[in-house]
Formats: sequence, structure tokens, C-alpha cells
Amino acid sequence: MKSMLKLGIILAIYATVACVGLAFVYTGTKTVIAQRQKADLEAALADLFPDGDSFEEITGALTSPDKSVTFINEYAVKKGGTNIGMAIRALGASYGGQVTVLVGAGTNGKISGIKVLENKDTPGLGANASSPTYFVDRAAGITFYGQFKGKDIQDAFEVKGDVAAITASTITSKAVSGIVKVSARSAFEWLSTATGGSK
Amino acid sequence: MKRLFRIFSNGIVRENPLLMLMIGLCSALAVTTATANGIGMGLAMTFVLLMSEIVISAFRKLIPDSIRIPIFIIVIAAFTTVIDYILKAYFPELSKAMGVFIPLIVVNCIIMGRVESFASKRPLLDVIPDALGMGLGYTWVLTAISVVRELLGTGTILGFQIMPESYQPILFFVLSPGGFFIFALFISLNLFIKSRLKNVEEDAA
Repeated sequence: MKSMLKLGIILAIYATVACVGLAFVYTGTKTVIAQRQKADLEAALADLFPDGDSFEEITGALTSPDKSVTFINEYAVKKGGTNIGMAIRALGASYGGQVTVLVGAGTNGKISGIKVLENKDTPGLGANASSPTYFVDRAAGITFYGQFKGKDIQDAFEVKGDVAAITASTITSKAVSGIVKVSARSAFEWLSTATGGSK
Repeated sequence: MKRLFRIFSNGIVRENPLLMLMIGLCSALAVTTATANGIGMGLAMTFVLLMSEIVISAFRKLIPDSIRIPIFIIVIAAFTTVIDYILKAYFPELSKAMGVFIPLIVVNCIIMGRVESFASKRPLLDVIPDALGMGLGYTWVLTAISVVRELLGTGTILGFQIMPESYQPILFFVLSPGGFFIFALFISLNLFIKSRLKNVEEDAA
């Protein structure tokens, strides 16, 4: 009994010291990590909508109509005060866990682009969804995420149909296409009503 | 000095953690699909191994035998979390590419194995060359396997196109079965090198 208590205390001391050490590293890196994620997101938004001059976060404006896709944040993209598009950061299940995709839709009913932000799928396979050096069409230099740019939101978004799959990563390809489809359609619906059909 | 060098060189060929001791294989096969991942994983693992071995060796007399395993895990997990934060903050690309494998360093058997069989019994001076040697042994094998797999599987090295455009990548090598094949070839290569080393030593003696 006595030795059990002693061992417990020793273990607690080691755990406490480790926790305090980690707390220091966490506070030291927290701001850098948050800044980097924010910068990443802003760069991604500016990339999807080169015309947009301001991005207004309107998280909560939309809820996903599909259970398998969750909307995390929504952003209204404005140019000179009028909405020209909407970006949704959406989450869905993929092969290795959740995949986060930023989907941009314009008022013209076309996808202005997508970005795969977080992806836990197999390196070299499913992870190619976000790789700028993985081409579904090497000759034309089209990446997996690049192929969605300019796509009509009414398209079928069928993997191996109108969406080229990543080789040996059908689950990832399907997951991303599904998220893009649901998000883009919701975004366009919102845009149509928010802009009063003034497109 | 000679003794320390011997400890260091042990991990590279003679007792290479992957090719001879056959520990830490799961992460080795999983991340070696691209060269950058192989190098990154190797260095991250080496850092955690070095720090854990140093701390555990320094405190080895203060760690009761009956609860040594939980304490090892606390120490290893703490350093793994540190490297996870650092990669996220300063090397976000690498962190994204390696994803779940960084937290999994905690359960990498190489670290557990070295800590248990070496660091918990040896003085600080012996532990540093051991950690560096084992880490280098792990890193070189990871890098070599990933170079071969990336070259054959996607035709690139570190993302640069090496093979001619007409080369049709053999996807097999990026998938896990290809990993096993390449891995087996490296095991036989290592055995060959080891047998040569033995002969040289015998001749010298």
C-alpha cells in the first residue's frame, strides 16, 4: 500500500513536469500556428476570388443540406460592396479521417475554384488531392483540385464521369467531389437569394 | 572515443533498427511514398529519440523499475507533442504531408526499444551516440526506400521530374505491397554489407 502511494506520487511528478513543459511550448507556438492558419485561409480565399476586394465572414448563414458534409465557415466575397461569390469551408469524411475543403462559387453559377485545406489521407495517394504537382491530366497540367475550377454547379460531380479521380484513391476523390457539390450548390442558392437575383 | 564511435556506428548497419532489429516498421512503410516525407519523418524521429534517451538516461536512477514504462511513455509523448507543434508552426507543409504519422512517433517501437534496453541502463555519454546512430540508421533507410519508391512510383524525386515524360509510373511501388518489396531488398543489401564488414574485421584481427 505504501509503495503504491509512493509510485503514484512519483508518476504524478513526472506527468506534471511534462505537462508544464508542454504548456510552455504550446503557448510559444500557439500564435504562430493560428497566424499561419489564418494567412493560409486568406491566401486561399484571394486565390479563389482574384476579383474580390473584401471577404466577410458570415459563418452560420448556411447549414448543410447533406448530413455527410458539415459547413464550418462561410465567407461572402464582395467587390465594391456587392456580393460576387461565396466561399464555404466544409468538412466531410474521407479515407484517413476528415477532409477540409474550401469551395468557392460565383454568382455566375460556376465554381471559382476549390482548395483542399486539411487532408489526413495516405501520403502519395489520397494526399495527392491537395498536391500542386499531382496531375490528373499531365499534358494540360490540370491538378486534381484544379479541375473543379470553372465547373458548372449543376454538373453531376460523378467521379470517373465528369470528375477525374486520383489514381488508386477513389474514396478521397469521391469525398472531395461530394463536398464540392453540396457546398457549391448551397452557396449558389444563398447567392441567388442574397443578391435578390441581381446577377 | 573509439567505444563511443562504435556505439554510434552500431545503429547504421550492424544493428540498424529497421533492417536488423526489425522494429518501427509500420511508420517506415507508411511514410516512404515520397522522399520529403521519408527525410522529415527520419529527422523528427531522431529528435524525439535523442531527447527521450537523454532525459531518461539522466533520470534513470530516479525512475522506479516497476513504473518505468508509463514514465517512458510520458517522456516520449511530451517530446513528440513538442515536435508536432514545432512542425505545425514552422514547417506547415511537412506537417500536412505527414499528418497522423507525427503523433504516431509516440508508439514507434524504436524509441521504446532503445529507451528500455539502452538508455535506462547507460550513462548520458553513451546515450547520445546511440540515439544519433539509431536515428541516422532509421533516417537513411527511410530516405533510401522513399527515393526508390518515389522514383519508380511517380517518376520524381523530391517532386522534381527525373524520369523522361514518356515513363509510365509503376503505381505498385507507391502502394504498400511495393513498399514491402523494396524493404525486403534493402534487408538483403544490409545483410550483404554486414557480412562484408565482418570479414574485414576478422581479417584485421
